[in-house]
Amino acid sequence: MAETTQDDVVFRPKPSLPPPPNTVGVVGWLRKNLFGGPFDSLLTIVGVSLIAYVAYSLYQYGIANAVWEADTYRECLDVTKGNGACWAGVSTWMNGYMYGRYPDVEQWRVNLAGVVLAVWLAPFWFPKIKAKILVGMSAVLTFPFLAAHLFLGGEAGLFLQVMVAVAMTLFATVWLNVGASYLGYPSLRVALLRLSGFENKGDHLHKYVLLGAFGVGFVIAFAYQSTWELAAVPTQNWGGLFLTLVISGIGISSALPSGIILALGRRSKMPVIRVFCTAFIELFRSVPLITILFMAVTMMPLFLPVEINPDKLVLVIVAVCIFAAAYMAEIVRGGLQAINKGQYEAAQAMGLNYWKMMTLIIMPQALKVMIPNIVGNFIGLLKDTTLVSIIGLYDILLMAKASGQDGKWLGMHTEPFLFTAAVFFVVCFCMSKYSQHLERTIGGGYGRR
Amino acid sequence: MAVLEKGSPRRQSRSIIEWLNDERVRSVLYQAIVAIAVIAVARYLFVNTSENLQARGMSSGFDFLSGTAGFSIAWTVLPYEAGDSYFRVYLVGIVNTLIVSLVAIVFATLLGFIMGIMRLSKNWLISKIAAWYVEILRNTPLLLQILFWFLAVFSLLPPPRGSFGLLDMFFLNNRGFYMPAPVPGAGFDYTMIAILLAIAATYAVAVWAKKRQMATGQQFHTFWVGLGILFGLPILVFLATGSPLSFDFAALKGFNFQGGVSVPPAFCALLLALMIYHSAFMAEAVRAGILSVSHGQTEAAYSLGLRPGMTLRLVIIPQAMRAVVPPMISNWMNVVKNSSLAIAIGYPDLVAVYMQTSLNQSGHAIEIVAMVMLFYMSVSLTISMALNYYNKLVQLKER
Amino acid sequence: MSLETLDSGQEHIASAISDEVVIELSKVNKWYGEFHVLKDIDLTVYKGERIVICGPSGSGKSTLIRCINRLEEHQQGDILVNGVTMDTNLKNIDAIRRDVGMVFQSFNLFPHLTVLENCTLAPIWVRNTPKAEADRLAMQLLERVKIPEQAAKYPGQLSGGQQQRVAIARSLAMNPNIMLFDEPTSALDPEMISEVLDVMVGLAESGMTMLVVTHEMGFAKRVADRVIFMDQGEIVEQNTPGEFFNNPKSDRTKLFLSQILAH
Ligand SMILES: Nc1ncnc2c1ncn2[C@@H]1O[C@H](COP(=O)(O)OP(=O)(O)OP(=O)(O)O)[C@@H](O)[C@H]1O
Ligand SMILES: [Mg+2]
Repeated sequence: MAETTQDDVVFRPKPSLPPPPNTVGVVGWLRKNLFGGPFDSLLTIVGVSLIAYVAYSLYQYGIANAVWEADTYRECLDVTKGNGACWAGVSTWMNGYMYGRYPDVEQWRVNLAGVVLAVWLAPFWFPKIKAKILVGMSAVLTFPFLAAHLFLGGEAGLFLQVMVAVAMTLFATVWLNVGASYLGYPSLRVALLRLSGFENKGDHLHKYVLLGAFGVGFVIAFAYQSTWELAAVPTQNWGGLFLTLVISGIGISSALPSGIILALGRRSKMPVIRVFCTAFIELFRSVPLITILFMAVTMMPLFLPVEINPDKLVLVIVAVCIFAAAYMAEIVRGGLQAINKGQYEAAQAMGLNYWKMMTLIIMPQALKVMIPNIVGNFIGLLKDTTLVSIIGLYDILLMAKASGQDGKWLGMHTEPFLFTAAVFFVVCFCMSKYSQHLERTIGGGYGRR
Repeated sequence: MAVLEKGSPRRQSRSIIEWLNDERVRSVLYQAIVAIAVIAVARYLFVNTSENLQARGMSSGFDFLSGTAGFSIAWTVLPYEAGDSYFRVYLVGIVNTLIVSLVAIVFATLLGFIMGIMRLSKNWLISKIAAWYVEILRNTPLLLQILFWFLAVFSLLPPPRGSFGLLDMFFLNNRGFYMPAPVPGAGFDYTMIAILLAIAATYAVAVWAKKRQMATGQQFHTFWVGLGILFGLPILVFLATGSPLSFDFAALKGFNFQGGVSVPPAFCALLLALMIYHSAFMAEAVRAGILSVSHGQTEAAYSLGLRPGMTLRLVIIPQAMRAVVPPMISNWMNVVKNSSLAIAIGYPDLVAVYMQTSLNQSGHAIEIVAMVMLFYMSVSLTISMALNYYNKLVQLKER
Repeated sequence: MSLETLDSGQEHIASAISDEVVIELSKVNKWYGEFHVLKDIDLTVYKGERIVICGPSGSGKSTLIRCINRLEEHQQGDILVNGVTMDTNLKNIDAIRRDVGMVFQSFNLFPHLTVLENCTLAPIWVRNTPKAEADRLAMQLLERVKIPEQAAKYPGQLSGGQQQRVAIARSLAMNPNIMLFDEPTSALDPEMISEVLDVMVGLAESGMTMLVVTHEMGFAKRVADRVIFMDQGEIVEQNTPGEFFNNPKSDRTKLFLSQILAH
């Protein structure tokens, strides 16, 4: 049938013509999206005027009439007559917004910790690096000790010193691994074995070589950190964005593991465990965070032995962690429910036990489904951290509020709040956009559910 | 296997391990460990607490509830005086919390629907404006917004002498917001009865119209007629009985306003912040809900000859509601919880008057914290029961 | 699917084409953005005529029939349905949609309504039919598509073939004089395909004007009065099924037929 013969009509497609000019291009776009009809056009005009008005007012307030240099809020007001922003006050207070009352000469320690964390996590985004989970885990598990030592200073106990040394060794390991990967070795492990000449000797020796290398690193790190002399900075002096990030950072990094445990507990077949987990989750989800914070600072001291007098910051962090865990648990539960029952059955049929099934089959899939909610929860937690200002911790919000109640800058409220809002907006907006990006790229391997 | 091993000497020694490998034994074991751990922790806390209380010479128990609270509360809905009991303070706090939450919920939901629908507008500009509204509000902390409205807006309003007025009835100044208080006169009861009657009549009309449509196919403008009855009847009765309602207008007397109903600036700031912040989340819920109804549904309805308005009412909204209502309800719950941020600007809600002031004065931390949590938990329980009921009601039947 | 099995024992259904024109497209052009989907389409459909449209994926078949009830808007040319001009006048669009039924590939039943309610929704709200009467009519139609026993169920509880038959009944409930089908069987398993095709054959026997986009060539042979082959947005060839299958004129058609009948 398919053979063509001489007298066939040969099909020649008509050329595609350009569409009528008023349906495409700028004109077409405008007609379709802005001026589809009389009502649409009216809406557009109202919208444009609204935007123009807001933009103009912001420009007038924030730039045209703003004062950039002044010594007191009075001076600003004399110039602006209340029609412009007094950015001079914000820049004077900038150090406070960032670090609270952390001593100026010691602030490099905060910056250093921030840089270390960023560098530590950077390999996460390197395409060649495998074992990204290990990179993340090493940072989450040991960085807090390093940071605590840097932030607090003073005499560190032996345990803290050991953990600081472990952290430094792991940090070095992560980056040596990066170096090895980019030098063409499959991994740091192979590189070490090859360079030390043990690659072809008995397999049982390998682990001693690796342990030995780690031990050498650890000893060097320990010796190095014991030379540090850091002035003590009590937590009462911590503040500003730094404090906000410390509290929310700990909350965020503890939320996922504890949330997973609680969620698994809530779905467990064992009634006792299920009841405890459910009660915990429901209790802390149904009350406002501020009541949990109040509970932490008023009730927790009653719960502990008389001789222990815990730091307020520690209590607050515990409260935030509990709160974050309860919320995360529900997100994880939602993610687990989204996984097809067949996946559980297939895993069990393959002979995997409960934990292997969870870690190898279920959790990886569930985590991908949960990414948007997890990030949403992180953003929520970051915002909720501002509540610690109510119980008197000088986070960025309380610093902003305090700056307008100070003698020289009395009455300056709008500017610090706008600045703080901008800080939060940038951080949260980037996080949510990044999560949308992740959702698109990671989800790529799966069909739509 | 069992047959082979029977009687073998190693059977005895392995049995305990086998026993431990039994699924049921393990389960009991794990649960026992967890239960013992929890009980031990609870006991530890209990012992510590009683020692602490003894050391501080404090009593425990709920006797303090009947004691007098010596402080005054800036603004209450329930009548309250400085000599009233702590239990009264609890109730006053609850009502203050509920009133601001309820008003915020109503307005936030309306605003949320408007913004959500704007977000879906075919007009690019309108949808972008709504998108930025949502993004900006969702990505800044609520507490910051509350403080902003309170410190940078409502506290900077002019004093009563220079208040902003609307129609000489509503006034806004740095002491708060004033509006006329309705004072029902003799015979106003008739108007109230008329309102009830109008509601009943509208319902009856709706039932009748439905019945008639089912019987004859004729449609009826229930909405407009209902609106007419709802407003017309009470207004007619009101006028016929000689307009028995007067208003107590707020008026400037000396340095301040007297009369009318007023709410303090903290209430205004909290209400506005809660409403605007949550409207952003609700807008997202509305948007996602409407988008969750596939485009094929609209096309099918159009191809059957249904007009856009009817398509929306009969096909899209009933389906979108299933997706919109659950997140909407949990947002309402969040409004109630977040109203506790009132404490930051001195609005006397439950947390402020009870968990802070009363707790500091009476020292009964455990009892007070428990009572406050009990309140929020019962609200949450009620709401989630309502949600479950709704979900059951609308669940789609599938294979 | 091969031609032999289709030929065996199945007569072409007698058609009752009148010379009354019910659909007329002249010089219809449509673009999606810059993309020219429909190029100068001319098509006249007579009352009672059964037309099968086929062609490779992306050739514009769906777009063509969706223009006929204004689910898509064309940019140039004229479309006349039952003598009513398709333009931006909402009254005209309403009038056309009332008389043109459509069945979709993905059924698009309303999941929140029962099968019966799906079928009575439009009669009650568009044609102002009393409920009892609409119910009676719907039950008749459900009997005609052979699923009266499912009336009280929800669409989610039915199989694909049953759902598609409900969708046909739902369209018929508006008593249309033209039916459009957009690949009504391509989302179905083989056994279910024949249940749906049977219903469509029954519809054809009753003299309905039908435009069917489908790759079921057996159905085309048996039912169609005319087969239209489309490619790249234009009508390449149209003919009676006998001529179309046995004696295609265009090389493009031959290629298409050889591919579609190869297995
Ligand atoms: N909404 C749209 N926007 C842009 N392009 C579209 C749109 N709908 C369809 N197209 C494009 O128009 C062309 C014709 O689409 P149409 O759905 O009519 O094809 P079809 O012949 O029905 O194909 P199939 O057999 O796969 O259903 C395709 O190339 C498609 O990509
Ligand atoms: Mg198609």
